[in-house]
Amino acid sequence: MADARVWRLKGASAAPTRPVWSTGRSALDARLPGGGWPTASLIEVLLDDTGLGEVQLFLPALVASQRGTAPSTAAPSTAAPSPADPARTSDSGAVDAPWLVWIAPPYEPYAPALAQQGIELSRLLVVRPANATEALWAAEQALSSGVCAAVLLWLKGTDDRWLRRLKLAAEEGGALGVLFRPARHRFESSPASLRLLVTRGEYEPHLDLLKVQGGRPGPVDLAI
Amino acid sequence: MTPATATAAAPAPPIALATAAALPPPVQPAQEPLRRARGVLQTPQAVSRPRSRQLWYAAVFPALTEADPGPLQKLCLHAQRFTSFVSIEPPNALLLDIKGSLKLLGPLETLHANIDACWRDLALEARSATAPTTLAALWCARGAEDHPVVIEDLGTLAGHLGKLPIACTAWDPQRLQTLRAMGVTRVGELLRLPRAGLARRLGTAMVWDLDIALARQPAPRRAFVARERFRERCDFESEIETAAYLQKALEPLIERCAQFLRERQAGVQTLRLKLRHREIAATRVQAGLASITSERRRLAEVLAQKLTRLELEAPVRSMELISGALLPLSAASLDAFAGGLSGGGRDTAPQLVERLRARLGEEAVYGVISIPEHRPEAAWRRVHELRLTSLLGSGGKRADQVMTHHDMPRPVWLLDAPLPLSETDIRAEAGPERIESGWWDGKGVARDYYIARQIDGIARQLGGEQQPQGARLWVFQERHSKRWYLHGVFA
Repeated sequence: MADARVWRLKGASAAPTRPVWSTGRSALDARLPGGGWPTASLIEVLLDDTGLGEVQLFLPALVASQRGTAPSTAAPSTAAPSPADPARTSDSGAVDAPWLVWIAPPYEPYAPALAQQGIELSRLLVVRPANATEALWAAEQALSSGVCAAVLLWLKGTDDRWLRRLKLAAEEGGALGVLFRPARHRFESSPASLRLLVTRGEYEPHLDLLKVQGGRPGPVDLAI
Repeated sequence: MTPATATAAAPAPPIALATAAALPPPVQPAQEPLRRARGVLQTPQAVSRPRSRQLWYAAVFPALTEADPGPLQKLCLHAQRFTSFVSIEPPNALLLDIKGSLKLLGPLETLHANIDACWRDLALEARSATAPTTLAALWCARGAEDHPVVIEDLGTLAGHLGKLPIACTAWDPQRLQTLRAMGVTRVGELLRLPRAGLARRLGTAMVWDLDIALARQPAPRRAFVARERFRERCDFESEIETAAYLQKALEPLIERCAQFLRERQAGVQTLRLKLRHREIAATRVQAGLASITSERRRLAEVLAQKLTRLELEAPVRSMELISGALLPLSAASLDAFAGGLSGGGRDTAPQLVERLRARLGEEAVYGVISIPEHRPEAAWRRVHELRLTSLLGSGGKRADQVMTHHDMPRPVWLLDAPLPLSETDIRAEAGPERIESGWWDGKGVARDYYIARQIDGIARQLGGEQQPQGARLWVFQERHSKRWYLHGVFA
């Protein structure tokens, strides 16, 4: 057990070997290390208004995670079981399909739309906490529980310490944590392994990678 | 004459057919397989069958007039000494099927007297009667002048019933008044009236009652099953002031509760904790579990979650743990194998949901389902009873398939209520999709839906040549009023 843990930490720090879920956009995949959203990590999405297709960026990954298709590993030469995939390799993962948890979404998630996109609604949990602290607590619980494939969290603001806790929980539970918060937080430091700024665009939203662990930051042209 | 032959030989005037068709089917046959499945032992007498001869003992307690079923349920427990089938007749009567008990506890007169003695011992005034049918026994108990009435023979039943005043039937006063105005004061006079006319004047339910009393119709009854629950109290030698100590003191109670549940092969879904103080009213803590369980670890965790958030107003003198109703454990809720033991401390989905609900509240954690319905606001619903086990849905999947062939995409966010909108703020990009539905339930809609882009203020000031920027919205125009509304956001 101790050995496995040591190994897991090593694996988590080595960014290129982390398994990923495709974003469904080849232009974005190409810019992300491994070619998709990294699992077992925290992703921060900074945006000011909703309706920019920000959830759409993650829906293909959410659908893939629920279908149980194994995330594609960037470096297939690493023969060892993927470190961030305990929910599917452990017993509980075999019995229970992974869950999606949406915490404090700005509006009601519209079931027909999600079903249309292929989300398994019986495995989706919506949580409406009373305040930000409760929301962060719920997110930490869900991320570290090991039954969730992805946890999406909408917040107005939070501090660095909580982000660190979320990141640790995501790594522990092997889940993809996505935090949506206002763009004014872009200049604060963040432990998230990926930071993304989404602003309005003409046909597609403008995407700006503020921080990419193991990759190159900069704007992404989705139109390609 | 047995009930069977009585049923077969009963004349079948048209009204009898109409009667049978108009009344709901008996409840008991449908209940039976369910109870069996739950593992409740059921004796052959538990279902009253029209073919077997029965003997019912009825006891009416004039002292009990309240609607509260509590005292009657306690009396049921006493009556269960004599038979396994005791049924409650609200508001103040019990019915015992004593046919099966005669062999062991008989003869009939002795048994009847023994049951009567049971009420006397409780210092409770009771009027009793024994008859071959439930209603006949009840009516005799309520109406007979000389007690006790014991009718064993079906042949003499009509004669006995005939002497009773009609008030013993406990029909509503208005009907009884009508009958009295017709000159009917005894059940016998009622039996002589033509069936069809009686049914027309007073309703078929009454004719049905008469048939039941005379054993022409079966009258299935539901047996009383004692509700069991775990309840244990723990008094403290010195008062406890912090919730952390309470948690420690709670451990043995939880252990015994889990043991209690294990012995009964049952689980619970709710737990209550009552903390008594010296002066102020007791503090009550309610905890709900996401699925039926008997597992100690889960019971402890959900209570611990509640206790850590509890602010004690006063020191606690004693504590009582009360379980909710005992529910049968189903295969799906045997979660010992799903990770509790093998997963090395990892959670299962029910545990996660419980933990979230214990802290955030029941209403704050829910799922959503899609409903095949054209009106967008009616096409989804929150669900609080989550299918937490891995029964990957047949029902849910079907709905999904129905919903996937929409012509236009649906937005990820739906507003609680449509928001009025100015047409100049948006530019339609796709549509319209006409939705016109719901005229049958008074919430009809007639709308043209569009996918639109928000035009922000600056772009508009610069002139119409700018490309629209901003959020993608789901808007509609009401067809009658021509007004525009925002209904969803494509996030």
